[in-house]
Amino acid sequence: MNELLSALKQNARIWQGHQPAHTSQPAESTGYQALDNQLGGLGWPRGALSECLLDTPGIGELHLLLPLMQRLTHSGKTVFWLNPPHTPYAPALVREGVDLDQVVVIHTKDSGDFLWTLENCLRSPVTGLVMAWPGKLALRDVRRLQLAAEAGSNVCVLFRERCHAAQNSPAALRLELQPDANQCLHVQILKRRGSWPGQHCELPLPQRAGLAAAETSRVVKGPWPKSAR
Amino acid sequence: MIVDASGQKVLQACTQASSQGVQPGIRLKTALSLVADLAMVRTDPQQEARVLQDQARWLYRCAAHITLVPPDGLLAEIGSLQKLYGGLPAVWETVEQGLNERRLTAWLGIGHTPLAARLIARTGKGECSADQGHMLRLLEQLPLAEAEFDTQACTRLQRLGLNTLGNLFALPATELARRLGPKILAHSQKIQGTRPDPQTPWQPPHRFRQQADFVEDIEHSQGLLFPLQRILSELEEDLCWRQQETDSLNLLLCYRYTEPTRLHIRTSGPEHRAEAFLNLIRLRFEQQPLQAPVVSLVLLVKRFIGREAASGQDLLGETPDMNEAWHTLISRLQARLGDGALQQLAPHADHRPEQAWASADVQRKQRKANAAENPLPCRPLWLMRKPQPLHTKPQAWFAGPERISGGWWDGQRVQRDYYIAQLPSGQLAWVFRDASQGWHIHGWFG
Repeated sequence: MNELLSALKQNARIWQGHQPAHTSQPAESTGYQALDNQLGGLGWPRGALSECLLDTPGIGELHLLLPLMQRLTHSGKTVFWLNPPHTPYAPALVREGVDLDQVVVIHTKDSGDFLWTLENCLRSPVTGLVMAWPGKLALRDVRRLQLAAEAGSNVCVLFRERCHAAQNSPAALRLELQPDANQCLHVQILKRRGSWPGQHCELPLPQRAGLAAAETSRVVKGPWPKSAR
Repeated sequence: MIVDASGQKVLQACTQASSQGVQPGIRLKTALSLVADLAMVRTDPQQEARVLQDQARWLYRCAAHITLVPPDGLLAEIGSLQKLYGGLPAVWETVEQGLNERRLTAWLGIGHTPLAARLIARTGKGECSADQGHMLRLLEQLPLAEAEFDTQACTRLQRLGLNTLGNLFALPATELARRLGPKILAHSQKIQGTRPDPQTPWQPPHRFRQQADFVEDIEHSQGLLFPLQRILSELEEDLCWRQQETDSLNLLLCYRYTEPTRLHIRTSGPEHRAEAFLNLIRLRFEQQPLQAPVVSLVLLVKRFIGREAASGQDLLGETPDMNEAWHTLISRLQARLGDGALQQLAPHADHRPEQAWASADVQRKQRKANAAENPLPCRPLWLMRKPQPLHTKPQAWFAGPERISGGWWDGQRVQRDYYIAQLPSGQLAWVFRDASQGWHIHGWFG
């Protein structure tokens, strides 16, 4: 019985509120120390779903995953982008040091294909990271995906709208992303395994537009001649 | 019962029909008057030739020099194989085993000349022995009608009172040539081996084609998988023998009335296992239901790739082969989602943002990333598929302008000033003003 209990605690299935548990769930560091600290020193859980809830693109959501992408592509794991809302821009990815040979972009026609593809990617040993933009997703489907994620051992991040924050979800990690002043990304942890949720942190990401933190503006200002073409 | 192509003569009859008196060689009308409810099948010379080719393909694995003897014979030179197999009985056994595996009914015969072998095999008295005297004795007993003379020559010889090949062999060669013409002499000498009878060896074609014709139409794709399994394992065996692999299969489904469907099945890398092909085809069938009942299916493989030794495996093969797993996954995805669904991105040398990237089909590249550190300018991670008009006034401007002007050479001219700006919603956008002074968003700094 005791063995069973300790095994459950080790896998972060059971946790005690009064003491921060040190679990041994497999995880990949996010590459941001501030965020890792908030996630119990672990990072993105492997073999489980993670959810990022955000309203609009362009707030630094890809930069949140960029360190992981760099690490995985260089260690020979494949990164899948499933139904991205815009085109992942190859020159920028190369500039950030992502090995594009290991990046595969997939577009599916309907939600049946989407789920099937995601499940297959999750179960394969070659996959390192799957980033998916599912659009609408029933709770039943999320559970199915969670099971598929448990069958593999890779990181899966679903990007969903913030209106889903109030709903419950079987995902192991749920982050709410919001833009903040000074090009920061405000990360609120809605759910994580093994401890209380509710932590939040600010990640300064001005470098994503090539700006140094202190720099305010590099715009060359007018006056522009009216006849300029 | 099988009738010839013109539908006049009976060529073969099943046991039931022959018990009622239908014999090969009788006219169709006679046969119909004997048995009213005869089921007839016409011969198809093309198909006969194809079946013969198929048999030659597998026999080629055992013997190098093969000659096709249409419509129903194969000649293989085995004299030179005795040493390789360790004696004539071993060769005989190998061929018999091959026949048994394929459940074929065939008569084997060994002769000291090609014609002799053919005639002995036709009699069905072929034996595994290299004794020439025995062969000649067998041949001498052979009736002239079965010695493959043309009918005219045969009647001439019979009118002379010659009934067996032995009678013919006994005649002096010069007399035979003078009285009966050189053709008959040549034939007789070719049987005996006193005149050379060179054979052009058959070359296996550099492609794989197998057809399955169904007695009953198949309505469900599940039903197609079973015959496909057999064909695919033939393919696997064929590829193993050639030490080759393939990455594309062509599958042709023929219907009774409508145009046939062509399916092109691609794997992401070289493959030879029947199981892998079958899984991909199964996926494809799930996506594409059959249009109509299928009458026959043809599998055609034209592209062959030399096989490479499996890499990335340790000595004991304990670590799973990542390369193989990668190909399996990508092939599965491609089979279900279609050809254009999977893309790999690459930068492209162009200043225009729309042209500065390219997508290609997924391929496994083994090259090491060469560290050519180009000082690429700062670009957003998201590029919009089409620039969107900017409706709100940006909150803050960060960098710009960066003028991009080009494309006069291919008619897609671009003249824009790019800025990095923050929108009131907090998004960092890559905005530009074009020559018409309109503001657009072209990307997001995700």
